[in-house]
Amino acid sequence: MSRFGIGGLSRRTVLRGAGVAIALPWLDAFARGAGSAGPPRRALFIMNNLGVLPKPFFPGETGPGYALSPLLEPLSSRRDDFTVISGLSHPGVRGGHSTENCFLTAARGPTRSGFRNTVSLDQFAAAEIGDQTRFPSLNLGVNVDKVNRSLAWTRDGVLVPAEDRPSRVYERLFMAGSPDQVAERRRRLAERGSILDATVDEARRLGRAVGTTDRQRLERFETSVREVEERLHAEGAWEDRPKPVPLEASPADVVDRALLFKGYESMLAIARLALETDSTRLVTLLVDAFATPPFRLEEGAGLTLDDYHNLSHHGQDAQRVAQLLEADRRQMTLLAGLLDSLAERREGEERLLDRTTVLFGSNMGDSNTHDNTNLPILLAGGGFRHGSHLAFNPDDNAPLSNLFVSVLQNLGIDADAFGSSTGSLAGLE
Amino acid sequence: MALVCGALLAFTSVAGGAIAGEPTEAPVTTSLEAVRPLLVTTCLGCHDNATAAGGFSVEGLTDGAERRDRDRLIRAHDRVAAGEMPPEPQSLADEARQELVAAFGRVIDAADRADIQANGRVPLRRLNRHELEQCLRTLLELPDLDVADLLPEDSLRDGFPKSAEGLELSRPQIEGTLDAVDAALAAAIAPGVAPPDSKTFTAISKSLFGGTAYGEPEAMYFAKDSLPVAAPAPDDAAVECAIFRSAYWPYHGYPAGFVAERPGRYRVRFRARAVLQQPDCSLLPAAAPVPMTFRARAPSGPDVSGDVKAVGGLFDIAPEEADYETIVLLRAGQTIEWSPLGLAVPLARNVDGGPPSYRFPPPPPGGHRGVAVRALEIVGPLPPADGIWPPASHRILFGDLPIRASSSGALPVEVVPREKVADAKRLLRAFAGRVFGREVEDDDVAAAEGVVLAALDAGREFTAVMLAGYRVILAAPEFLLVADPRGGSEAEGRSDARALACRLSLFLWNDRPDAALLAAASAGRLADPARLVAEADRLIDDPRFARFVATFTDHWLDLRHVRRDEPDARFFPEYRLDEYLAESLGRETRASVERLIREDLPIAKLVDDDVLLVNDRLAVHYGLPPVSGSGVRPVPRPAGSPRGGLLTQGAILKVTANGTSTSPVKRGAWVMTRLLGEPPPPPPEKVPAVEPDIRGATTIRDLLARHTADANCTACHRRFDPVGFALEAFDVCGGERSRVRGLALVGSPADTPDLVTGIDRAGHDFAYRLGAAIDPAGSLADGTPFDDIRGLKAEIGKRPRQLARNLLGLWTAYATGAPLRFSDRPEIEAILDAAEPEGFRVRGLLRLFVVSPIFTGAITTNAPERAGALP
Repeated sequence: MSRFGIGGLSRRTVLRGAGVAIALPWLDAFARGAGSAGPPRRALFIMNNLGVLPKPFFPGETGPGYALSPLLEPLSSRRDDFTVISGLSHPGVRGGHSTENCFLTAARGPTRSGFRNTVSLDQFAAAEIGDQTRFPSLNLGVNVDKVNRSLAWTRDGVLVPAEDRPSRVYERLFMAGSPDQVAERRRRLAERGSILDATVDEARRLGRAVGTTDRQRLERFETSVREVEERLHAEGAWEDRPKPVPLEASPADVVDRALLFKGYESMLAIARLALETDSTRLVTLLVDAFATPPFRLEEGAGLTLDDYHNLSHHGQDAQRVAQLLEADRRQMTLLAGLLDSLAERREGEERLLDRTTVLFGSNMGDSNTHDNTNLPILLAGGGFRHGSHLAFNPDDNAPLSNLFVSVLQNLGIDADAFGSSTGSLAGLE
Repeated sequence: MALVCGALLAFTSVAGGAIAGEPTEAPVTTSLEAVRPLLVTTCLGCHDNATAAGGFSVEGLTDGAERRDRDRLIRAHDRVAAGEMPPEPQSLADEARQELVAAFGRVIDAADRADIQANGRVPLRRLNRHELEQCLRTLLELPDLDVADLLPEDSLRDGFPKSAEGLELSRPQIEGTLDAVDAALAAAIAPGVAPPDSKTFTAISKSLFGGTAYGEPEAMYFAKDSLPVAAPAPDDAAVECAIFRSAYWPYHGYPAGFVAERPGRYRVRFRARAVLQQPDCSLLPAAAPVPMTFRARAPSGPDVSGDVKAVGGLFDIAPEEADYETIVLLRAGQTIEWSPLGLAVPLARNVDGGPPSYRFPPPPPGGHRGVAVRALEIVGPLPPADGIWPPASHRILFGDLPIRASSSGALPVEVVPREKVADAKRLLRAFAGRVFGREVEDDDVAAAEGVVLAALDAGREFTAVMLAGYRVILAAPEFLLVADPRGGSEAEGRSDARALACRLSLFLWNDRPDAALLAAASAGRLADPARLVAEADRLIDDPRFARFVATFTDHWLDLRHVRRDEPDARFFPEYRLDEYLAESLGRETRASVERLIREDLPIAKLVDDDVLLVNDRLAVHYGLPPVSGSGVRPVPRPAGSPRGGLLTQGAILKVTANGTSTSPVKRGAWVMTRLLGEPPPPPPEKVPAVEPDIRGATTIRDLLARHTADANCTACHRRFDPVGFALEAFDVCGGERSRVRGLALVGSPADTPDLVTGIDRAGHDFAYRLGAAIDPAGSLADGTPFDDIRGLKAEIGKRPRQLARNLLGLWTAYATGAPLRFSDRPEIEAILDAAEPEGFRVRGLLRLFVVSPIFTGAITTNAPERAGALP
């Protein structure tokens, strides 16, 4: 009846073994729980909270044969690996920059009294597939105001702070913890295990005194407690498993916030490293343009006329528009580089890109006018059918959450709804 | 009663509608056998296995011991009883029909009662997330504990998050539950060896407003002696900060320099008056109070980050300057923001794509209303109300054991035991007794003790070890799962009295029973219907009854959706960003449901009432004489007003519309389902929805007339559409209207017929056209005509028994966790009989319900013979 006991191991055996080194194959059995059949599926969500200039971004034509827009030009060699999508937004998510924390949550009314954020797409997915890797998810940021902004939010609407130092992420991903740290973590897991054991004992005790229907409910309760326990053991098993050895050194920390694109590139590199070593399968990256001071388009170039936010309110000033266009082009070039490197790497028979969904977007359709509709969205990789401009109604947008549902399903998660979705997104099958 | 088994009507092969062969099973003993010839001649033609019209076959119909079979029998029973089957009613003589219905009824009733006797009425169910949160709050005396959102949302069955079937026990649920328990325990332990130092923050003059209001000069300015001052002296206590806008993006209206360093309660005092802004920005006293609240939020500037929450309640700021005081609950890092309600909102815009600018809407007659504040003081975090440290929640866990600073830093404090093992055992027992609400025995704490003693043995720190033990107790099924009571007496091996007490308090308070209720249960007094009613009355009269009203109306009347659809500003600019209206609508409907029960009003008042419950905003919305202040209070209905009763309340009219248009079909179906319990059958597939005409040239009613001209459609639609026709006289927020509105472009020529233009309350230009006239007349399915909503309400009001029957069904699902059963029907009718002489008074109905076997779980083997009566 109990679903515990993978590979013939009894739970007690494992509990006893928790303190000593355990051979790897067993741990594999735990770490890759029952839900991990099939090749791994991954996702990387990138968001720039000032978006891009809409006119040069969106192609004029729709469908598969569309002509690349100026901002998509840097991605030309990958045109069959991505889809550009227009006419999407989050219904009820209005309020200028206050919408940025809702990009992956779709929570309505972010400026309203009584607002509380909801679970973000990555955390929702992590609850399902996060146990398959050492880190359920990774939440990164460039120039990010860590206190106030994040893409990742827990189920109860608590901000999951972004990591903004590549070196620190690298250390977490690839360096072994001290023996004391490992022992302490293991002890804590063992304690939680003993609490769950006691809970099961209680359920059994009560089960002796009730009728058939109630006993079935208690057995269901017990099974679920066992499943919680299984996850705990999977978590504990990682403590005994050596961390992967990356093929490259840590990307540099970029302390100078004016070097936005250098920091951006470092974070993309660490995201890719995390994904290719299968340390996690879910990564978010918030590019906090809003918190970016006057910046340099290239190292050594001059500073922009204004900080990124004020620059984005260009008011059609030609010089500002030109600087923004160049910044947007730089960003697209970085994305092209990321897609190239994911396409070069192979996992089994497939390109890493085909197993990794890359979603780029923004909460701003047009930062100049604080428009939160017609968001710029680019979807790449993941094995979706690509190569087209998927256009939805600019006057009555389709919910961005529909795309999120498609992404969840692509991750192998059995979900038919997320946020304000009305279904999955048509046109990606 | 003997349990009857075996298939009853297991026909052998049937060819071409021929008469059936012999039963294949053993001798049958129930009453379906007697009507077998009738079933064969009447039903088998269409409902044999081969044809199975409507997916239903009478072959193999059993005695209904299995739930699925019983449901099939019930469907057959109901359709034959209603005359819907056979399709040609004349093909079944009245006597034969009665015979068939009675036979079905006897079989189903017997099977249903046998099932209840064997398995109980409702399986064990989990506390839902809000009940769990409330139980933890009560148990640990942490009234502000906030853990519900750690659990996944509860699924709804039978309309409520209270159903045993819907409250699943999946892994994510269990994980969330354990997380919530952890969070509650972490919140219970003292945050330090001494209460945090309370600090006092004061603000006058410029520091009253440290942010930006946008939309200046009208949105906010400083004044002295009622005249604007451009550069007020920072220490001038005579300076007022006058605010004329409501909070929305962009806005940061918090005082300069205050942030809560520690979470907790803070006392806020301020001096303020309500004012009117004159064209020269001088201030005049307002004619009526202006409502205001505070918003707790992070001081993140114009862009809101994280939670925003109205705190401290509503103030009605009076025209004469006065002092106000409240308590606000803040998290670390939060501040409070001035939040006047119902005022204008400036528009952030970019003229011709240029730089951002702000437009304040034009003033109403008399000038913009606003709030002028002159002094603010915030003190906190406040020590516990009882002045004792460590706080009550900590003492519940650790009694009076001394505390000291933590050596490891893992917890905020360490408890110092006198004698580790003895203290641990004693504390665990005391806590388990509190959690389980009864005397505990060794067995009850064995599991927790095992965990605790082993860890103490291993030399682990006492406080952390005890928390692990408490986790075990709070994760126990006895705490998390709710059992089905069986009559409220102390039966062998189980406590039905305590289960009944639990059911009562979860029903009326969303909470665990309090000490008085537990005492009544353990003394066996709940088995006495008079005492049970007395307890129910006590719970209803308590302020905690508001929790029932909120949860019940959130689901029954969809009030949780009252903000779901923003009114479409193209057609309804007057509602744009009117948070105060949305808030007031919900309060009106909750207050009226609460009043019906508390004041024991006849159920017909649900549909029509000559008392209205309104505040200042609602009085304007409903076109009533002005009312002063934000509190919802009863006022007599003026002559000629269509209001009164749920049907004409804005909240109901809003949740049944979609923000842009209204649909008589949806509103009619909603009323039939929610108020009368007569849901229409699901719409046939492949019928496209009616697209509203956004030009406004045609009413939705006319479009619908074409849509449902087909006789097949009309058969159903005439049962609920007419209700919706009468409601067409109300727009998506419940405003009264005589014509629909259609789309018009801003900038349309001024001579466009029926054009209405202006600038709305949030600074947007608007334009719409008055379109086709509304026809609110109709006739009910039985042909009774009505002219408008008044006539419709009068007609529905003539069906109090059905309104009451519906409410009893809803309470059954809500309070017991399972819907009404077939065998409950006679009991329901008995309750209705008893309530009828008094006109089905609502609290009376609730009392009758609470002592009925449906609620108490008492096992009955026979239907009640006479009307139930209250002791």
